[in-house]
Amino acid sequence: MKKDYKILALKILAPFVAIILAAFISSLIILAIDKDPLQVFYTMFKFSFKRIDSIAMILFNATPLIFSALAVSIGFKMGLFNIGIEGQYLIGTFMAALVGFSIKGLPAVIHLPLVILAGIVGGMIWSFIPIFLKVKRGVHEVISTIMLNYVAYSLIHFLIADVFRDRQQSLVEGLGSVLVRTPKLAASAVIPKMHGFLAFFGVQLPKHVYLNWFFPISVVLAAGIYYLIMRTPFGYELRAVGHNPEASCIAGINQGRIYFKGFLLSGAVAGLVGLSDLLGYFRYMDMDFPRGYGFDGIAVALIAQNNPFGIIASAILFGFLKRGSEGIQALLKVPMDTIVILQSLMIIFIVVITKIINDYVKRLEKREVA
Amino acid sequence: MGKAVELKNITKRFPGIVANDRINLEIQKGEIHAIVGENGAGKSTLMKVLAGLYQPDEGEIFIFGKKEKISSPNKAIELKIGMVHQHFMLVDRFTVLENIILGAEKKKGFTIDEKTCRETLKKLLELYNFKLDLDARLEDISVGHAQRVEIMKVLYRGADILVLDEPTAVLAPQEVDELFINLRRLKEEGKTIIFISHKLDEVLSIADNITVLRRGKAVGTVPADSVTKEELARMMVGKPVLMKLNKTPAEKGEVKLSLRDVMMKGHGGRNVLNGVTLKVCGGEIYGIVGVEGNGQKELAEAIIGLQQDYDGDIKVCGKPTKGLSIKQIRDMGVAFIPEDRHRQGLVLPMKVWENSILGLHRKEEFKKKTSIDIKKAEEFTSRNVKGFSIIISSIHQAIEGLSGGNQQKVILSRELSQEPIVILAAQPTRGLDIGAMEFVHQQLLEKRREGKAVVLISADLEEVLSISDRVGVIFDGEIVAEFTPEETTLEDIGVYMLGAHKKAGESA
Repeated sequence: MKKDYKILALKILAPFVAIILAAFISSLIILAIDKDPLQVFYTMFKFSFKRIDSIAMILFNATPLIFSALAVSIGFKMGLFNIGIEGQYLIGTFMAALVGFSIKGLPAVIHLPLVILAGIVGGMIWSFIPIFLKVKRGVHEVISTIMLNYVAYSLIHFLIADVFRDRQQSLVEGLGSVLVRTPKLAASAVIPKMHGFLAFFGVQLPKHVYLNWFFPISVVLAAGIYYLIMRTPFGYELRAVGHNPEASCIAGINQGRIYFKGFLLSGAVAGLVGLSDLLGYFRYMDMDFPRGYGFDGIAVALIAQNNPFGIIASAILFGFLKRGSEGIQALLKVPMDTIVILQSLMIIFIVVITKIINDYVKRLEKREVA
Repeated sequence: MGKAVELKNITKRFPGIVANDRINLEIQKGEIHAIVGENGAGKSTLMKVLAGLYQPDEGEIFIFGKKEKISSPNKAIELKIGMVHQHFMLVDRFTVLENIILGAEKKKGFTIDEKTCRETLKKLLELYNFKLDLDARLEDISVGHAQRVEIMKVLYRGADILVLDEPTAVLAPQEVDELFINLRRLKEEGKTIIFISHKLDEVLSIADNITVLRRGKAVGTVPADSVTKEELARMMVGKPVLMKLNKTPAEKGEVKLSLRDVMMKGHGGRNVLNGVTLKVCGGEIYGIVGVEGNGQKELAEAIIGLQQDYDGDIKVCGKPTKGLSIKQIRDMGVAFIPEDRHRQGLVLPMKVWENSILGLHRKEEFKKKTSIDIKKAEEFTSRNVKGFSIIISSIHQAIEGLSGGNQQKVILSRELSQEPIVILAAQPTRGLDIGAMEFVHQQLLEKRREGKAVVLISADLEEVLSISDRVGVIFDGEIVAEFTPEETTLEDIGVYMLGAHKKAGESA
């Protein structure tokens, strides 16, 4: 129907309008610090897209955000706000690191899946606690997941600095200092880069690019989650519970069970967030392992309106902004924080615009019937 | 004495329903005027028109003899109309004084002139003989006192016409007495009070005149001292003009649903179900009537399994259902048409086709490997849409855009599609227009002809008497009487509904 296309078009249009409005206001801020906004945006694009290795870096940047936003979106679909992706992925990453450095001598085909599985299990353990408290005791998941983030920070600190700290680091003669980190992961636990595969298509990536197979995995996972939520009976129940728990209950859907399964799934996906960095870049977990993916994921999911394919796009957008902000800082001496402002503005606009469009669509549908 | 309020031909329509249908109403200055009617009769809509919250589609309003247009709640206050809502709109952490003056503070420079406010309030309290501690925090005072705060709020703003929306619903009996003392005092001081209720005893004891609404129409206005409770009840529920439905004689089958001594405790430990015993056979419609809030809701929830915390037995086809999940009970062949379709029957933001398989989504017929067979679900929905003449623009539209009648048809088509054995319909025609209502009745009769056991819980006596084979009257969580429609009069049922006495229920 014509109207259906109109609604779809509006929904796709919403993020673009938000981006343009955000860019406009950011321009004012850039003007205020005596820089030329056009030049800033031009530099961002040029720096990001001129070279193929830069594009690969953007995809590398986007990978953890895709996992993180997918995990958030599963929660949103059933009406729960899993703000604890942060803690879940840190625990997941640590579990993966643990299996990665403590088991030796396994072939990669067994060791790598085992390490990934450990990450998933870690994320699930950390998401089990809040959902158990919610279903059995009515504890609000926002409170418990936020608190568990802090517990995770401290726990990881303790585990890395005290329990599993690598005390036999060999340093290059007199250079550098000892890192507070776990032992190095076995080579069999490392995720292969995509260089070889891409070279097959004539794309040559330099060595300093760390784009690995977690990126395609995240894309496949997004498709899988779309199928799960929009097509399977479980996904149907998840959405029904998210919109109206009482009606779902009367229809015979066990709300508690849906919450359990859905939240554990969210935690499992969260467990994958840190693995691209761990298994594809650092190969150890240290005190400074990247943080904040969990919160960025909320923003990415918001912009994508919880649509898995939209999440891929908006994660890539965030990856681009990160890359671009490095460019403008290096080349134009424009602080990276400008881009943080841009990101924040985008989020605010998307929330407002989505609300306006949804109200409009509702009125459109009502008018049709009346 | 002049007229305080005069409404002429007030009509208010909502999609699919006329909430107020050409209502004429005259309220004299200085009287307590009660407006009674079942839920959904249009009382609240009418009062919201008066309070400026809704604009009538047609009709005129005269306040103190002058034609007015009440365009907003502020305008209503200007016209000295004050609304005391059923749900209090007060700030818990504020004191009584702060709550009363909130939004109408007297100022001295930049600060609130608390002293002047306090003096004004003290005078008001004295004048109307209200007992209130102005410095108590709202969270520390009783519901009855909180209601006094609400009344003081409108008096403080200078209201001469007070509208009280079901003021006694939240009060304990002695608090009701105190409220009535206050209201009489207000009347002595010349205030006009409009009192909305469906509790007939209260209305008779407090009101001077009573207007009865039914299905959006004003049935009539009577002086309180020349009418009996039974007469009022009859006005409220309508004349038993049995709609001529092609109703064949019942062909009773065996017992499909039986309840024995079902007891359930509600909030605060009071029994909401007090030993309900009934049997419903295949091929009959068992109507349950009663004044709202006498256990109908709890009864339905116990049968479908939403409430499991009861004593006694509920059996479907001879098998006890206690301890089973809602899904298991539904799989035994119990269909449920819930009372509140928005909260309990539908998932409003989801599509029509998604709503029409809610609860059936795990059935074999909608399964395609690991996913839902969307094509089959759409075909199923399209069949229902055709069979039940549901008016929609697309089965892909969100169901919240449908009118109430069409939404109810979606629920009916879904619940009746699975060859149920027991059909539990709670207020299935509430808020529907005549056409949709008749359709629902036809469907229920059709299922009866097919030999299903139908339980119809309704506040509409006319409906129950015209389509039921047997009628049970529920009062205070108990079936106090059982009749066949032929052997009863409306007076009888009215008396039982009000809990006057009991008649031993005959067993089926």
